Amino acid sequence: MPGPICSYVRWVDRFTGLVGLIAMYLVFLMIGVLLFDAITRNVIRMPQHWPIEFAQFTLAAYYFAGGSYSLRDGGHVRMDLLYDRLSERGRALLDVITSSCLLFYLGVLLWGSISSLRYSMETGQRLFSMWNPSVVPIKMLMSAAIVLMILQSVSLIFKDWATFRGKSIR
Amino acid sequence: MSYELIAILIFAAMLLMLLTGQRVFAAIGFVAAGAALLLYGQGAIEMPYNAAWRLFNWFPMLTLPLFVYMGYILAESGIAEDLYRAFHVWFGRLRGGLAIGTIMLMVVISAVNGLSVAGMTIGAAIALPELLRRGYDKLMITGVVQAGSTLGILVPPSVVLVLYGMIARQPVSQLWLAGAIPGLMMAAMFIVYIAIRCRLQPHLAPVVDDAELNMPMREKLKLARAGIIPFLIFFFMTGLFLMGITSLVESAAVGATSATLAALWKGRLTLAVLHTTVRRTMLISCMFLWIILAALAFGAIFDGIGAVRAIEGLFITRWDLSPWQVLLMMQLSFIVLGMFLDDTAMLVIVAPLYVPLVRVLDLGIDNVLIWYGVLYTITCQIAYMTPPFGYNLFLMRAMAPKEIQLADIYRSVVPFVLIMALAALLITAFPQIALWLPEQVRVR
Repeated sequence: MPGPICSYVRWVDRFTGLVGLIAMYLVFLMIGVLLFDAITRNVIRMPQHWPIEFAQFTLAAYYFAGGSYSLRDGGHVRMDLLYDRLSERGRALLDVITSSCLLFYLGVLLWGSISSLRYSMETGQRLFSMWNPSVVPIKMLMSAAIVLMILQSVSLIFKDWATFRGKSIR
Repeated sequence: MSYELIAILIFAAMLLMLLTGQRVFAAIGFVAAGAALLLYGQGAIEMPYNAAWRLFNWFPMLTLPLFVYMGYILAESGIAEDLYRAFHVWFGRLRGGLAIGTIMLMVVISAVNGLSVAGMTIGAAIALPELLRRGYDKLMITGVVQAGSTLGILVPPSVVLVLYGMIARQPVSQLWLAGAIPGLMMAAMFIVYIAIRCRLQPHLAPVVDDAELNMPMREKLKLARAGIIPFLIFFFMTGLFLMGITSLVESAAVGATSATLAALWKGRLTLAVLHTTVRRTMLISCMFLWIILAALAFGAIFDGIGAVRAIEGLFITRWDLSPWQVLLMMQLSFIVLGMFLDDTAMLVIVAPLYVPLVRVLDLGIDNVLIWYGVLYTITCQIAYMTPPFGYNLFLMRAMAPKEIQLADIYRSVVPFVLIMALAALLITAFPQIALWLPEQVRVR
């Protein structure tokens, strides 16, 4: 495969790995915040009103930022009734074709996220609650995560195409 | 084009996309996004993204990654090995005792975990090799491990019931209580089946030789201490939640923490184990959450063209079915759909279509939606196990020792699926099996 494609795949995969590494440890942030909530509410009886919402934000960050990592490492389940009967090359070719569907879905998601982000920035949208946090940071993070997923999908298409041609990208 | 035809076309498009072997979330999301743009035009381009905010507002969803994490940590902690040894010694003399012990192990694991992944991991890693080594029939034990692991979503805590609770707007604590007795009943039915089958066909389950089981009573009792840690975890997680002390999401965090502490106490928690656990947790959680995200968008579009009304019209007006016939149709369609559609997606797409229908049906059952939650979960359990599309089948294939083949896995579930269907029938005939416990607690 041409050099620029190889280095694109290498860099995107590496960056995805880094983001995924950070995202996967967010699970401890969720556990910690909710545990803090349980303790302040029940043990020292000083209920806080932000922990649940904070954990909700963390969950959104968790699966959006983890999205490209699980794409890269094949974490998403497939219906393999027919898929499994194909050869490795056949699967790679089919993946190249149907990845357009993945890209279409991610594209629509990105479009929606940007228009929603723009709205939030223009109106200074906040969550309607006691804590009343701004939703702009999480929406920015979600949009960026979708962009990374698109980059990662393209990297996967390159890799599948290479597999189909009987080569490998290293 | 009529709306019904559009609905059928969209559904067919989704099934077709799934058959291509593209990732399930992408297949569903693509059809949802495409249908939104075709049906509603440019203004609908935000629909798929807005599903993320619907998901955001379903804050009980926080329990999902925490339960996944907990399951993996428990599998690593060595608690299951201790328990398994205890069951082995206590039930070893019984014909098929180890298989029965496996079901009991699964009940305990189910009581400290909300998904079937943990039971599956533990069953395939600990019970299966041991059973094979002792010459148990591989077809039977493969079924035992799979059937046992599905108990995870019926015995509280249960993530499926959390999802159902969000869709049907029912309190999770009541749903969990409703699942407890049916879960234990089903485990008992499995055990009776194994005992009878091994009595009739002794070659399926060789007896353990006496030398291994002969030990003083004191030592036997010592082994029973293996149950202490699971009991403590159960108490701190589910117990405190059902007593109304911790909230649902807090209880998941308490459970995750106590499982981590247990692993630490057992000396099994190394940095490498922790890292693997955290990585696997994210891969599984992302898989579930992205499917749910795509399925929510799909469901919104399906709902928008009046699919609920269409099904209601079809069952009640056009086919003129009695309430019980409608119920039967719903459960059957679940099992048929479960063959094509991924289980999580089925939950998010199909349950919202049926829940309103159950509400209007006149079945003569109080708290009909709580009861239906249990029936629904059992149907999910069956769907998880029936080929070609079931997580348990996938996981089993990935985790089982080499001598167990795909055909074995498929064939092994048959008797257990029949037992589950029988359990579902019993619960339909006697709704009190599910409803008695939650009623007792509510009265208090």
